Amino acid sequence: MKDKTGYLYLSAKKKQDKTIIDDIYFYDQLKVIKPLYLDDSGQPSIFVVNPGGGYVDGDTYRMDIRLQENAELLLSNQSATTIYKTPESCVCQEMEIVLKKGSLLEYVPDPIIAFKDAKFRQDTKIYMEPGATLIYAELISPGWSPDGTPFTYDTLRLKTEVYWDGKLAVYDQVRLQPDIQNMYETGFFEGYTHFGSMMVIGDQAAPAFLDQMYDFLEDENLPGRIGFSMLTIPGFTLRVFASSTQDAEGVFNKVHTLIRKEWFNKEPIYLYKY
Amino acid sequence: MLVTAMTNQLLPLLQWCDSNFPTGAFSHSFGLETYIQEGRVSDKETFAAWLYPYIQEQLVYTDGLICRFAYEALDKKDHDKIVYWDRLAAVQNLSRESREANIKMGRRFIQLGLEMYDIEDLRIYQKQVESHQASGHPAIGFAIIAHHLGIPKPTAVLAYLYTCTSNMIQNGVRGIPLGQTDGQRLLQDLQSTLQKAADMIDGLEPDDFGSISPGLELSQMRHERLNVRIFMS
Repeated sequence: MKDKTGYLYLSAKKKQDKTIIDDIYFYDQLKVIKPLYLDDSGQPSIFVVNPGGGYVDGDTYRMDIRLQENAELLLSNQSATTIYKTPESCVCQEMEIVLKKGSLLEYVPDPIIAFKDAKFRQDTKIYMEPGATLIYAELISPGWSPDGTPFTYDTLRLKTEVYWDGKLAVYDQVRLQPDIQNMYETGFFEGYTHFGSMMVIGDQAAPAFLDQMYDFLEDENLPGRIGFSMLTIPGFTLRVFASSTQDAEGVFNKVHTLIRKEWFNKEPIYLYKY
Repeated sequence: MLVTAMTNQLLPLLQWCDSNFPTGAFSHSFGLETYIQEGRVSDKETFAAWLYPYIQEQLVYTDGLICRFAYEALDKKDHDKIVYWDRLAAVQNLSRESREANIKMGRRFIQLGLEMYDIEDLRIYQKQVESHQASGHPAIGFAIIAHHLGIPKPTAVLAYLYTCTSNMIQNGVRGIPLGQTDGQRLLQDLQSTLQKAADMIDGLEPDDFGSISPGLELSQMRHERLNVRIFMS
Protein backbone atom coordinates (compact mmCIF):
# COMPACT_ATOMS: atom_id res chain seq x y z
CA MET A 1 0.00 0.00 0.00
CA LYS A 2 1.32 3.39 -0.94
CA ASP A 3 0.63 5.45 2.14
CA LYS A 4 3.45 7.96 1.68
CA THR A 5 4.08 10.74 -0.80
CA GLY A 6 7.44 9.17 -1.44
CA TYR A 7 9.14 6.05 -0.17
CA LEU A 8 12.54 4.47 -0.53
CA TYR A 9 13.81 1.13 0.72
CA LEU A 10 17.43 0.33 0.14
CA SER A 11 19.64 -2.51 1.31
CA ALA A 12 23.38 -2.72 0.71
CA LYS A 13 25.57 -5.78 1.05
CA LYS A 14 29.27 -6.46 0.84
CA LYS A 15 30.19 -8.82 -2.01
CA GLN A 16 33.90 -9.60 -2.27
CA ASP A 17 35.67 -6.21 -2.45
CA LYS A 18 32.60 -4.28 -3.40
CA THR A 19 29.38 -3.10 -1.80
CA ILE A 20 26.35 -3.80 -3.93
CA ILE A 21 22.75 -2.68 -3.61
CA ASP A 22 21.05 -6.05 -3.10
CA ASP A 23 17.52 -4.76 -2.70
CA ILE A 24 15.87 -1.51 -3.63
CA TYR A 25 12.30 -0.30 -3.87
CA PHE A 26 10.87 3.17 -4.23
CA TYR A 27 7.74 4.90 -5.37
CA ASP A 28 6.24 8.24 -6.33
CA GLN A 29 8.12 11.27 -5.04
CA LEU A 30 11.34 9.54 -4.03
CA LYS A 31 13.68 8.08 -6.60
CA VAL A 32 17.34 7.21 -6.74
CA ILE A 33 19.93 7.53 -9.44
CA LYS A 34 21.90 4.37 -10.33
CA PRO A 35 24.70 3.80 -7.77
CA LEU A 36 27.91 5.57 -8.64
CA TYR A 37 31.32 4.18 -7.77
CA LEU A 38 33.24 7.43 -7.43
CA ASP A 39 36.60 5.82 -6.62
CA ASP A 40 38.15 2.36 -6.60
CA SER A 41 37.21 1.61 -2.96
CA GLY A 42 34.14 -0.44 -3.91
CA GLN A 43 31.86 1.93 -2.00
CA PRO A 44 28.80 3.09 -3.93
CA SER A 45 27.24 6.54 -3.66
CA ILE A 46 23.49 6.85 -3.89
CA PHE A 47 21.74 10.11 -4.67
CA VAL A 48 18.11 10.49 -3.68
CA VAL A 49 15.95 12.57 -5.99
CA ASN A 50 12.68 14.30 -5.24
CA PRO A 51 11.11 14.53 -8.71
CA GLY A 52 8.57 17.11 -7.54
CA GLY A 53 11.44 19.47 -6.70
CA GLY A 54 10.25 20.16 -3.17
CA TYR A 55 7.95 19.20 -0.35
CA VAL A 56 4.43 20.62 -0.09
CA ASP A 57 1.58 20.69 2.42
CA GLY A 58 0.83 17.38 4.09
CA ASP A 59 3.56 15.42 2.30
CA THR A 60 4.97 12.41 4.11
CA TYR A 61 8.21 10.75 3.15
CA ARG A 62 9.95 7.69 4.42
CA MET A 63 13.33 6.12 3.80
CA ASP A 64 14.47 2.74 5.10
CA ILE A 65 18.18 2.13 4.75
CA ARG A 66 19.80 -1.20 5.66
CA LEU A 67 23.53 -1.87 5.60
CA GLN A 68 24.54 -5.51 6.01
CA GLU A 69 27.82 -6.51 7.66
CA ASN A 70 30.82 -4.59 6.29
CA ALA A 71 28.77 -2.83 3.60
CA GLU A 72 29.83 0.76 2.85
CA LEU A 73 27.53 3.39 1.45
CA LEU A 74 27.53 7.09 0.84
CA LEU A 75 24.04 8.56 0.77
CA SER A 76 23.16 12.05 -0.32
CA ASN A 77 20.53 13.86 -2.30
CA GLN A 78 20.64 15.51 -5.66
CA SER A 79 19.46 18.87 -4.40
CA ALA A 80 18.48 20.66 -1.21
CA THR A 81 15.49 19.49 0.84
CA THR A 82 13.13 22.30 -0.06
CA ILE A 83 9.95 22.75 1.95
CA TYR A 84 7.40 25.10 0.43
CA LYS A 85 4.72 26.94 2.30
CA THR A 86 2.56 24.53 4.30
CA PRO A 87 -0.66 26.37 5.22
CA GLU A 88 -2.52 23.29 6.43
CA SER A 89 -0.39 20.55 7.88
CA CYS A 90 3.32 20.01 8.20
CA VAL A 91 5.63 18.03 5.97
CA CYS A 92 6.92 14.92 7.70
CA GLN A 93 9.94 12.89 6.84
CA GLU A 94 10.83 9.63 8.55
CA MET A 95 14.04 7.75 8.18
CA GLU A 96 15.10 4.44 9.65
CA ILE A 97 18.67 3.27 9.30
CA VAL A 98 20.02 -0.13 10.33
CA LEU A 99 23.80 -0.58 10.41
CA LYS A 100 25.26 -4.03 10.95
CA LYS A 101 28.72 -4.75 12.35
CA GLY A 102 31.58 -3.35 10.28
CA SER A 103 29.33 -1.30 8.02
CA LEU A 104 29.89 2.36 7.17
CA LEU A 105 27.21 4.89 6.29
CA GLU A 106 28.11 8.40 5.27
CA TYR A 107 24.95 10.48 5.10
CA VAL A 108 25.64 13.95 3.77
CA PRO A 109 22.51 15.52 2.34
CA ASP A 110 22.26 19.01 0.88
CA PRO A 111 20.91 21.72 3.22
CA ILE A 112 17.34 22.03 4.38
CA ILE A 113 15.71 25.11 2.89
CA ALA A 114 12.36 25.98 4.41
CA PHE A 115 10.22 28.60 2.67
CA LYS A 116 8.09 31.24 4.34
CA ASP A 117 5.52 29.71 6.73
CA ALA A 118 6.84 26.18 6.16
CA LYS A 119 6.41 23.51 8.83
CA PHE A 120 8.73 20.52 8.66
CA ARG A 121 9.21 17.59 10.94
CA GLN A 122 11.88 14.94 10.56
CA ASP A 123 12.20 11.80 12.65
CA THR A 124 15.29 9.67 12.23
CA LYS A 125 15.93 6.43 14.04
CA ILE A 126 19.27 4.70 13.66
CA TYR A 127 19.93 1.18 14.91
CA MET A 128 23.63 0.37 15.08
CA GLU A 129 25.63 -2.64 16.06
CA PRO A 130 28.93 -1.93 17.80
CA GLY A 131 31.67 -1.94 15.19
CA ALA A 132 29.58 -0.02 12.65
CA THR A 133 30.46 3.55 11.67
CA LEU A 134 28.07 6.42 11.06
CA ILE A 135 28.75 9.88 9.71
CA TYR A 136 25.50 11.83 9.73
CA ALA A 137 25.57 15.46 8.68
CA GLU A 138 22.74 17.93 8.53
CA LEU A 139 22.64 21.60 7.65
CA ILE A 140 19.77 23.95 8.32
CA SER A 141 19.80 27.08 6.18
CA PRO A 142 17.96 30.27 7.17
CA GLY A 143 15.35 29.33 4.54
CA TRP A 144 13.96 31.31 1.67
CA SER A 145 11.51 34.16 1.33
CA PRO A 146 10.75 36.45 -1.65
CA ASP A 147 12.45 39.49 -0.11
CA GLY A 148 15.44 37.55 1.21
CA THR A 149 14.50 37.84 4.89
CA PRO A 150 15.99 34.90 6.81
CA PHE A 151 14.05 32.72 9.25
CA THR A 152 10.54 33.20 7.83
CA TYR A 153 9.63 29.53 8.19
CA ASP A 154 7.10 28.51 10.83
CA THR A 155 8.67 25.46 12.50
CA LEU A 156 11.52 23.06 11.89
CA ARG A 157 11.66 20.09 14.13
CA LEU A 158 14.34 17.45 13.68
CA LYS A 159 14.57 14.52 16.01
CA THR A 160 17.37 11.97 15.76
CA GLU A 161 17.66 8.90 17.94
CA VAL A 162 20.48 6.38 17.88
CA TYR A 163 20.06 2.93 19.36
CA TRP A 164 23.48 1.40 19.87
CA ASP A 165 23.71 -2.26 20.76
CA GLY A 166 19.94 -2.23 21.34
CA LYS A 167 19.93 0.71 23.78
CA LEU A 168 19.03 4.34 23.23
CA ALA A 169 22.39 6.12 23.23
CA VAL A 170 21.74 9.46 21.52
CA TYR A 171 18.64 11.66 21.56
CA ASP A 172 18.84 14.92 19.67
CA GLN A 173 15.95 17.27 19.12
CA VAL A 174 16.28 20.61 17.34
CA ARG A 175 13.13 22.71 17.32
CA LEU A 176 13.27 26.09 15.61
CA GLN A 177 10.32 28.47 15.81
CA PRO A 178 11.48 31.90 14.67
CA ASP A 179 8.14 33.46 15.66
CA ILE A 180 8.82 32.88 19.34
CA GLN A 181 12.60 32.45 19.34
CA ASN A 182 14.83 35.35 18.45
CA MET A 183 17.20 33.57 16.09
CA TYR A 184 19.88 36.27 16.27
CA GLU A 185 20.04 36.43 20.05
CA THR A 186 21.89 34.62 22.82
CA GLY A 187 20.97 30.97 23.02
CA PHE A 188 19.86 30.76 19.40
CA PHE A 189 22.14 31.40 16.41
CA GLU A 190 23.87 34.37 18.03
CA GLY A 191 24.44 36.41 14.89
CA TYR A 192 24.94 33.47 12.54
CA THR A 193 22.41 32.19 10.02
CA HIS A 194 23.34 28.56 9.33
CA PHE A 195 23.28 25.68 11.79
CA GLY A 196 25.08 22.45 11.06
CA SER A 197 25.24 19.19 12.99
CA MET A 198 27.50 16.27 12.39
CA MET A 199 27.08 13.09 14.36
CA VAL A 200 29.93 10.62 14.13
CA ILE A 201 29.77 7.22 15.78
CA GLY A 202 32.46 4.57 15.47
CA ASP A 203 35.06 2.72 17.48
CA GLN A 204 37.76 5.18 16.46
CA ALA A 205 35.91 8.21 17.79
CA ALA A 206 37.93 8.26 21.02
CA PRO A 207 38.86 11.33 23.11
CA ALA A 208 42.35 11.33 21.55
CA PHE A 209 40.81 11.71 18.11
CA LEU A 210 38.79 14.69 19.35
CA ASP A 211 42.02 16.30 20.57
CA GLN A 212 43.57 15.70 17.16
CA MET A 213 40.50 17.13 15.44
CA TYR A 214 40.56 20.16 17.75
CA ASP A 215 44.22 20.95 16.87
CA PHE A 216 43.51 20.40 13.20
CA LEU A 217 40.49 22.75 13.21
CA GLU A 218 42.43 25.35 15.24
CA ASP A 219 45.13 25.34 12.57
CA GLU A 220 42.57 25.65 9.78
CA ASN A 221 41.03 28.67 11.53
CA LEU A 222 37.72 28.33 9.69
CA PRO A 223 35.00 30.99 9.87
CA GLY A 224 32.01 30.24 12.08
CA ARG A 225 31.76 28.86 15.59
CA ILE A 226 32.40 25.18 16.22
CA GLY A 227 31.80 22.94 19.24
CA PHE A 228 31.99 19.20 19.68
CA SER A 229 31.84 16.69 22.49
CA MET A 230 31.98 12.97 23.20
CA LEU A 231 28.79 10.95 23.43
CA THR A 232 28.23 8.23 26.04
CA ILE A 233 29.26 5.70 23.36
CA PRO A 234 32.31 5.90 21.05
CA GLY A 235 31.26 8.91 19.05
CA PHE A 236 30.80 12.66 19.08
CA THR A 237 28.46 15.40 17.95
CA LEU A 238 29.80 18.48 16.25
CA ARG A 239 27.73 21.64 15.95
CA VAL A 240 28.59 24.64 13.85
CA PHE A 241 27.18 28.13 13.48
CA ALA A 242 28.10 29.73 10.16
CA SER A 243 27.19 32.67 7.97
CA SER A 244 26.76 30.71 4.75
CA THR A 245 26.20 27.21 3.39
CA GLN A 246 29.74 27.46 2.09
CA ASP A 247 31.23 28.08 5.55
CA ALA A 248 29.23 25.31 7.24
CA GLU A 249 29.98 22.77 4.52
CA GLY A 250 33.61 23.82 4.69
CA VAL A 251 33.71 22.63 8.31
CA PHE A 252 31.88 19.38 7.45
CA ASN A 253 34.28 18.81 4.58
CA LYS A 254 37.39 19.24 6.74
CA VAL A 255 36.14 16.92 9.47
CA HIS A 256 34.77 14.36 7.03
CA THR A 257 38.02 14.31 5.06
CA LEU A 258 40.03 13.87 8.27
CA ILE A 259 37.88 10.90 9.33
CA ARG A 260 38.04 9.25 5.90
CA LYS A 261 41.82 9.60 5.84
CA GLU A 262 42.55 8.64 9.46
CA TRP A 263 40.04 5.84 9.93
CA PHE A 264 39.57 4.34 6.49
CA ASN A 265 42.50 5.53 4.44
CA LYS A 266 39.97 6.84 1.92
CA GLU A 267 40.32 9.83 -0.37
CA PRO A 268 38.27 13.00 0.24
CA ILE A 269 34.79 12.96 -1.25
CA TYR A 270 33.83 15.55 -3.79
CA LEU A 271 30.20 16.00 -2.81
CA TYR A 272 30.77 19.27 -1.09
CA LYS A 273 30.33 22.08 -3.51
CA TYR A 274 32.78 24.19 -1.54
CA MET B 1 -3.53 23.61 61.33
CA LEU B 2 -3.22 25.14 57.91
CA VAL B 3 -0.22 27.13 59.03
CA THR B 4 1.41 24.00 60.44
CA ALA B 5 0.83 22.04 57.24
CA MET B 6 2.33 24.84 55.20
CA THR B 7 5.28 25.20 57.54
CA ASN B 8 5.92 21.49 57.35
CA GLN B 9 6.42 21.83 53.63
CA LEU B 10 7.70 25.37 53.38
CA LEU B 11 10.80 25.09 55.55
CA PRO B 12 12.17 21.91 53.94
CA LEU B 13 11.46 23.41 50.51
CA LEU B 14 13.35 26.59 51.43
CA GLN B 15 16.22 24.46 52.66
CA TRP B 16 16.41 22.44 49.41
CA CYS B 17 16.17 25.56 47.26
CA ASP B 18 18.85 27.47 49.15
CA SER B 19 21.82 28.15 46.91
CA ASN B 20 24.08 27.27 49.86
CA PHE B 21 22.67 23.76 49.83
CA PRO B 22 25.67 21.59 48.92
CA THR B 23 24.53 19.97 45.67
CA GLY B 24 27.68 21.09 43.85
CA ALA B 25 25.76 23.57 41.68
CA PHE B 26 28.37 26.25 42.46
CA SER B 27 30.94 24.30 40.39
CA HIS B 28 28.86 24.11 37.22
CA SER B 29 28.13 27.00 34.88
CA PHE B 30 26.56 24.88 32.10
CA GLY B 31 28.37 26.84 29.42
CA LEU B 32 27.95 30.30 30.99
CA GLU B 33 31.70 30.49 31.58
CA THR B 34 32.29 30.16 27.82
CA TYR B 35 30.10 33.22 27.20
CA ILE B 36 31.96 35.13 29.93
CA GLN B 37 35.39 34.26 28.51
CA GLU B 38 34.32 35.04 24.95
CA GLY B 39 33.14 38.45 26.21
CA ARG B 40 29.53 37.81 25.28
CA VAL B 41 28.22 37.92 28.85
CA SER B 42 29.82 40.79 30.75
CA ASP B 43 27.18 42.69 32.71
CA LYS B 44 23.64 42.55 34.09
CA GLU B 45 21.99 43.11 30.68
CA THR B 46 23.98 40.50 28.76
CA PHE B 47 23.55 38.05 31.63
CA ALA B 48 19.77 38.62 31.56
CA ALA B 49 19.87 37.87 27.82
CA TRP B 50 21.65 34.58 28.64
CA LEU B 51 19.23 33.63 31.41
CA TYR B 52 16.26 33.97 29.07
CA PRO B 53 17.07 30.98 26.78
CA TYR B 54 18.46 29.12 29.79
CA ILE B 55 14.98 29.24 31.34
CA GLN B 56 12.79 29.27 28.20
CA GLU B 57 14.60 26.49 26.36
CA GLN B 58 16.90 24.46 28.56
CA LEU B 59 14.85 24.45 31.76
CA VAL B 60 11.43 24.31 30.07
CA TYR B 61 12.19 21.59 27.54
CA THR B 62 14.70 19.53 29.49
CA ASP B 63 15.45 19.94 33.20
CA GLY B 64 12.10 21.33 34.34
CA LEU B 65 10.19 18.88 32.15
CA ILE B 66 12.15 15.97 33.62
CA CYS B 67 11.15 17.19 37.08
CA ARG B 68 7.47 17.17 36.05
CA PHE B 69 7.60 13.75 34.39
CA ALA B 70 9.48 12.24 37.34
CA TYR B 71 6.88 13.64 39.74
CA GLU B 72 4.07 12.12 37.65
CA ALA B 73 5.86 8.77 37.54
CA LEU B 74 6.11 8.87 41.35
CA ASP B 75 2.37 9.47 41.60
CA LYS B 76 1.94 6.19 39.76
CA LYS B 77 4.76 4.43 41.62
CA ASP B 78 6.24 3.79 38.19
CA HIS B 79 9.95 3.31 38.86
CA ASP B 80 10.66 2.06 35.33
CA LYS B 81 9.44 5.40 34.05
CA ILE B 82 11.91 7.16 36.36
CA VAL B 83 14.70 5.10 34.77
CA TYR B 84 13.32 5.95 31.32
CA TRP B 85 13.48 9.72 31.94
CA ASP B 86 16.84 9.47 33.68
CA ARG B 87 18.30 7.66 30.69
CA LEU B 88 16.70 10.02 28.18
CA ALA B 89 18.06 13.04 30.08
CA ALA B 90 21.58 11.54 29.96
CA VAL B 91 21.58 10.70 26.24
CA GLN B 92 19.92 14.00 25.33
CA ASN B 93 22.82 15.92 26.83
CA LEU B 94 25.34 16.03 23.99
CA SER B 95 27.87 18.07 25.97
CA ARG B 96 30.00 15.70 28.02
CA GLU B 97 30.75 18.18 30.80
CA SER B 98 27.14 19.21 31.27
CA ARG B 99 26.05 15.59 31.20
CA GLU B 100 28.60 14.67 33.85
CA ALA B 101 27.64 17.73 35.91
CA ASN B 102 24.05 16.50 36.07
CA ILE B 103 25.16 13.00 36.99
CA LYS B 104 27.33 14.34 39.83
CA MET B 105 24.64 16.67 41.12
CA GLY B 106 21.97 13.99 40.79
CA ARG B 107 24.00 11.58 42.90
CA ARG B 108 24.64 14.30 45.46
CA PHE B 109 20.88 14.91 45.70
CA ILE B 110 20.28 11.23 46.35
CA GLN B 111 23.00 11.11 49.01
CA LEU B 112 21.83 14.27 50.80
CA GLY B 113 18.21 13.23 50.57
CA LEU B 114 18.92 9.90 52.21
CA GLU B 115 21.03 11.56 54.91
CA MET B 116 18.06 13.70 55.86
CA TYR B 117 14.98 11.58 55.15
CA ASP B 118 13.93 7.99 54.89
CA ILE B 119 12.38 7.96 51.42
CA GLU B 120 11.69 4.63 49.79
CA ASP B 121 11.47 6.12 46.27
CA LEU B 122 14.88 7.68 46.75
CA ARG B 123 16.39 4.41 47.95
CA ILE B 124 15.00 2.72 44.85
CA TYR B 125 16.48 5.45 42.65
CA GLN B 126 19.82 5.06 44.44
CA LYS B 127 19.76 1.31 43.71
CA GLN B 128 18.94 2.01 40.07
CA VAL B 129 21.97 4.29 39.90
CA GLU B 130 24.22 1.81 41.69
CA SER B 131 23.20 -0.96 39.32
CA HIS B 132 23.85 1.34 36.31
CA GLN B 133 20.24 1.28 35.16
CA ALA B 134 20.11 5.02 35.83
CA SER B 135 22.77 7.76 35.80
CA GLY B 136 21.41 10.19 38.34
CA HIS B 137 19.83 13.57 37.59
CA PRO B 138 19.18 16.45 39.99
CA ALA B 139 15.67 17.11 38.59
CA ILE B 140 14.68 13.54 39.46
CA GLY B 141 16.27 13.72 42.90
CA PHE B 142 14.45 16.99 43.53
CA ALA B 143 11.13 15.55 42.31
CA ILE B 144 11.44 12.55 44.62
CA ILE B 145 12.13 14.71 47.68
CA ALA B 146 9.38 17.22 46.82
CA HIS B 147 6.94 14.37 46.22
CA HIS B 148 7.85 12.83 49.56
CA LEU B 149 7.32 16.16 51.34
CA GLY B 150 3.85 16.38 49.80
CA ILE B 151 4.64 19.52 47.85
CA PRO B 152 2.12 19.82 45.00
CA LYS B 153 3.50 19.22 41.51
CA PRO B 154 3.14 22.82 40.18
CA THR B 155 4.98 24.16 43.25
CA ALA B 156 7.65 21.48 42.97
CA VAL B 157 8.34 22.28 39.30
CA LEU B 158 8.37 26.03 39.93
CA ALA B 159 10.68 25.58 42.93
CA TYR B 160 13.05 23.50 40.80
CA LEU B 161 13.15 26.19 38.11
CA TYR B 162 13.80 28.74 40.84
CA THR B 163 16.65 26.81 42.41
CA CYS B 164 18.37 26.20 39.04
CA THR B 165 18.05 29.89 38.14
CA SER B 166 19.12 31.10 41.54
CA ASN B 167 22.21 28.85 41.46
CA MET B 168 23.08 30.09 38.00
CA ILE B 169 22.72 33.72 39.10
CA GLN B 170 25.07 33.07 42.02
CA ASN B 171 27.54 31.58 39.53
CA GLY B 172 27.13 34.62 37.31
CA VAL B 173 27.71 36.97 40.25
CA ARG B 174 31.00 35.20 40.96
CA GLY B 175 32.09 34.56 37.39
CA ILE B 176 31.24 37.77 35.52
CA PRO B 177 31.45 39.28 38.23
CA LEU B 178 28.30 41.18 39.16
CA GLY B 179 27.22 42.89 42.36
CA GLN B 180 25.11 40.81 44.74
CA THR B 181 22.32 43.38 44.45
CA ASP B 182 22.29 43.09 40.66
CA GLY B 183 22.04 39.34 41.06
CA GLN B 184 19.05 39.65 43.38
CA ARG B 185 17.39 42.15 41.03
CA LEU B 186 17.76 39.70 38.17
CA LEU B 187 16.18 36.97 40.24
CA GLN B 188 13.31 39.28 41.18
CA ASP B 189 12.80 40.39 37.56
CA LEU B 190 12.63 36.74 36.50
CA GLN B 191 9.78 35.79 38.81
CA SER B 192 7.06 36.10 36.17
CA THR B 193 9.30 34.41 33.57
CA LEU B 194 9.72 31.46 35.93
CA GLN B 195 5.98 31.24 36.55
CA LYS B 196 5.33 31.32 32.78
CA ALA B 197 7.97 28.66 32.26
CA ALA B 198 6.29 26.41 34.84
CA ASP B 199 2.94 26.89 33.08
CA MET B 200 4.54 26.02 29.75
CA ILE B 201 6.07 22.85 31.18
CA ASP B 202 2.63 21.80 32.33
CA GLY B 203 1.35 21.95 28.74
CA LEU B 204 4.13 19.96 27.05
CA GLU B 205 4.01 16.41 25.71
CA PRO B 206 6.67 13.70 26.15
CA ASP B 207 7.48 14.16 22.45
CA ASP B 208 8.50 17.78 23.15
CA PHE B 209 11.23 16.68 25.52
CA GLY B 210 14.80 17.72 25.03
CA SER B 211 14.82 20.29 22.27
CA ILE B 212 18.04 22.21 22.66
CA SER B 213 19.05 25.82 22.86
CA PRO B 214 21.63 25.69 20.04
CA GLY B 215 23.70 28.54 21.45
CA LEU B 216 23.83 27.23 25.00
CA GLU B 217 24.68 23.73 23.86
CA LEU B 218 27.48 24.93 21.57
CA SER B 219 28.99 26.89 24.46
CA GLN B 220 28.67 23.92 26.79
CA MET B 221 30.68 21.90 24.27
CA ARG B 222 33.26 24.68 23.80
CA HIS B 223 33.75 24.90 27.57
CA GLU B 224 35.85 21.72 27.38
CA ARG B 225 38.49 23.61 25.42
CA LEU B 226 38.76 26.76 27.58
CA ASN B 227 42.24 27.24 28.95
CA VAL B 228 41.55 28.75 32.35
CA ARG B 229 38.34 27.79 34.07
CA ILE B 230 36.75 28.35 37.45
CA PHE B 231 33.79 26.07 36.67
CA MET B 232 33.81 22.37 35.78
CA SER B 233 31.21 22.81 33.05
